[in-house]
Amino acid sequence: MDELSALREMRAQAPEADADRLGPARERLMAAARTAPAGTASGRRRLRPGRPGFPRSGDRGRIVPAGMNRGRIALAGMAGLAAALALVAVQVAPTGPPGGGDGAPATPTVAARYAETAVVLERAALVAESRPVAATPRPDQWQYRRYVTVQPNGDGEVQEHEEWLRYDGRKNAGYDLDGAFRIQDVPPDPGDDDLSPEKYAERLRRLPTDPDELLAHVTGDRHWIDLPREDPGGAEPSDARAFRVLSVYLGQRAVMPPELEAAIYRALARIPGVAVELGVRDAAGRAGLGVFHRPAGEERERRYLVLEPDTFRYLGSRTVWLRDEVIGGEVAFPAGSAYVTAELASTIVDRPGQRS
Amino acid sequence: MIAHTGRAGAAEDTGDVGDAEVIRRSLEEPDAFALLFDRYAPEIHRYAIRRLGDSLADDVVADTFLAAFQRRDRYDLTRPDARPWLYGIAGNLIGRHRRVEIRSYRALARTGADEVAESYADRVDARVSASAVQKDLAGALAGLSAGDREVLLLVAWADLTYDEVAEAVGIPVGTVRSRLHRARRKTRAALGGADPTATEEERHG
Repeated sequence: MDELSALREMRAQAPEADADRLGPARERLMAAARTAPAGTASGRRRLRPGRPGFPRSGDRGRIVPAGMNRGRIALAGMAGLAAALALVAVQVAPTGPPGGGDGAPATPTVAARYAETAVVLERAALVAESRPVAATPRPDQWQYRRYVTVQPNGDGEVQEHEEWLRYDGRKNAGYDLDGAFRIQDVPPDPGDDDLSPEKYAERLRRLPTDPDELLAHVTGDRHWIDLPREDPGGAEPSDARAFRVLSVYLGQRAVMPPELEAAIYRALARIPGVAVELGVRDAAGRAGLGVFHRPAGEERERRYLVLEPDTFRYLGSRTVWLRDEVIGGEVAFPAGSAYVTAELASTIVDRPGQRS
Repeated sequence: MIAHTGRAGAAEDTGDVGDAEVIRRSLEEPDAFALLFDRYAPEIHRYAIRRLGDSLADDVVADTFLAAFQRRDRYDLTRPDARPWLYGIAGNLIGRHRRVEIRSYRALARTGADEVAESYADRVDARVSASAVQKDLAGALAGLSAGDREVLLLVAWADLTYDEVAEAVGIPVGTVRSRLHRARRKTRAALGGADPTATEEERHG
């Protein structure tokens, strides 16, 4: 019996209420109806964005699904960094995103500042190329990740998450709400659209490291893994898809070949609509370079990959609603709402529970 | 002529008037909203019982329909079926009792005694001591994030489709898929070896 069937049987004997039982609740409704003025409905009050107690999932739109891991890649290894930095003179364009347009600024009170996209991304490529090649983890090692999220419901609460995933993807571990540490098997699931760290490594090794070839590859990819049947985005514009798929790959830093990372930055620079905003903050308040894609059509929300300005380390993401999102006739997320994440730790460890 | 035997005190539900039309009418005639109550209150009451137990269900249902009534002018009248909307409101109210809900899952996981099942056991012939599978399920439910649990239970206990869950919770359907997927994966893992393939591979691994 699968877990959904088992769940359907749980508490299945709970009865439906009859009219007697529901009488008082119905009477409360009718009392309200009697006092409501006919012809108008009360309460034009705008709903709070989001819903307390219902955190949005951290993988909204699956743009950056899993850990942005650096694994064993050292932060150092920046032999070429000084040279790379010298190449860059970030230009500030105070008037708006490249190409102009009517998109609302991400932060309404402060004019957004933009960097010269091609210059910044080439610099990122040069820094990436100078990274050392990481040792390949053993299948029985674990990927540890600690990150925080802020939901778009306006309460600003920072939620912290901690998880261990075995490199071969067969087990995960973490603390449950009781504070008990649990290690769980992860059975193989052909329908899964996420990959184990090991599978990501295999996939990344097969990708072309020529920027043009890479871009052609991700533009033609129906999905970021080979499961087109689950792809709801059949109508996704190719530029948007290329940005999304490259963003996902960029998240796999624990298993990222340096030359591929460089190719990703150069491919991003070739996608029409990709731009870099300065001073975009992650959920930990760290300001970085916000790489985003501006679609040809209407831009409803903008998702930034926030990169550390010197090392181009991935800090987190920031998704900003540019227009009110109306769901079921109500404003679920008003313009200006933001879903924000920040990676705090990510490394390969020998045992679950270890943090370094 | 056979008398129409509707529910006691219920406004007559002709059944051929869609929810959206009922809501539109209720803007002019507030009493019309009672039709929605009669259509959906019984199942939403049951859903609330399953999540929180018998004692909180009455208030959840009353508050759900009061809240729905008060914001009926913001209902998207292009959606003929109001059921997802009502479950969304109910879920929000149920979420206020998260501690109660989690506590019952934890207790069930630990002791096998289900205080929620006990709460309605005197009204039906319900089994109140849980199977091993149910204990594991309860443990998994306690460990899910609120958002993942909401999606999972709307599918399993309220029989909403993915699209309806998206509408109820106010998230894109792609997010529904990924949440449900994650919730099912964790639940399956908690059932431990329910997947024979997994056991096989683990043995050789």
